[in-house]
Amino acid sequence: MPGGPNCREALSLLQDYLKQDITPELAAKITDHIQKCRPCFDHLRFEKNFLDMLEQKARGQCCPDKLRARILFELRSELERSAES
Amino acid sequence: MTHLAPGREAFEAEVIPQLDSLYRLALRLTTDPSRAEDLVQDTVLKAFRSWQRFQPGTNIRSWLFTILRNTFINDYRRRQREPIPMDLETAEPHASFRAVDDEDPEGTFFARIVDAKVLEAIDRLPEDFREVLVLSDIENLSYAEIADVLGIPVGTVKSRLFRARRQLQEVLYDHAVEMGYIRPRPKAPAEK
Repeated sequence: MPGGPNCREALSLLQDYLKQDITPELAAKITDHIQKCRPCFDHLRFEKNFLDMLEQKARGQCCPDKLRARILFELRSELERSAES
Repeated sequence: MTHLAPGREAFEAEVIPQLDSLYRLALRLTTDPSRAEDLVQDTVLKAFRSWQRFQPGTNIRSWLFTILRNTFINDYRRRQREPIPMDLETAEPHASFRAVDDEDPEGTFFARIVDAKVLEAIDRLPEDFREVLVLSDIENLSYAEIADVLGIPVGTVKSRLFRARRQLQEVLYDHAVEMGYIRPRPKAPAEK
């Protein structure tokens, strides 16, 4: 994209840009476009807020303590079984 | 005295810190806490029995997620709740953003939606999309790592992720409108 991306090109690369799975050169071009283009800036912010929300709400769930304890117990039982055989 | 198997301590040191991630993926795949617990336990025991095959220095999370997913497919998969019907081929890109760009361009309405509603919406995504979304956007795996876990090309990972996000945004947008967090945008008149 000589001369930098247009809006359509920038939006098509937004997913890779947010995933940071893009060459530094292309990322710099997208950053440059977004800084100059309000609609694309808003779009990026919308996607970023969506992803932050998703991570925050879904990562709150943790392995229950009783499961953790059960797994450690099973691992030790497995070791004892293998030592006996 | 119990003889410690070689690498047992290394196994626990590597795997126990991943239990939260394994449990989250198991929950989203099974959509059932009790089955998720059994799936995580089975996964860890299988991983333990295969520990000698794990190559140190390679990605422990990808390795564990692969075992968990294979165990799920072989032993746990059953008929899921009906996924939300949607024509994914013609789903409009960026539709939810366009619907709110006058009123809430930052998408702050997402933050008002309760956690349980978001999780329920994720659980109703088609399984192919759900697993990509969880691995990417909740567990932060790279495209290449997800492709490795699922055994699909990176391009497929990208397109499934794109569609999964769009579908989830659509559902959460509709919910936000229903709850009065945002006003629905008037639909454009149909083209003649």
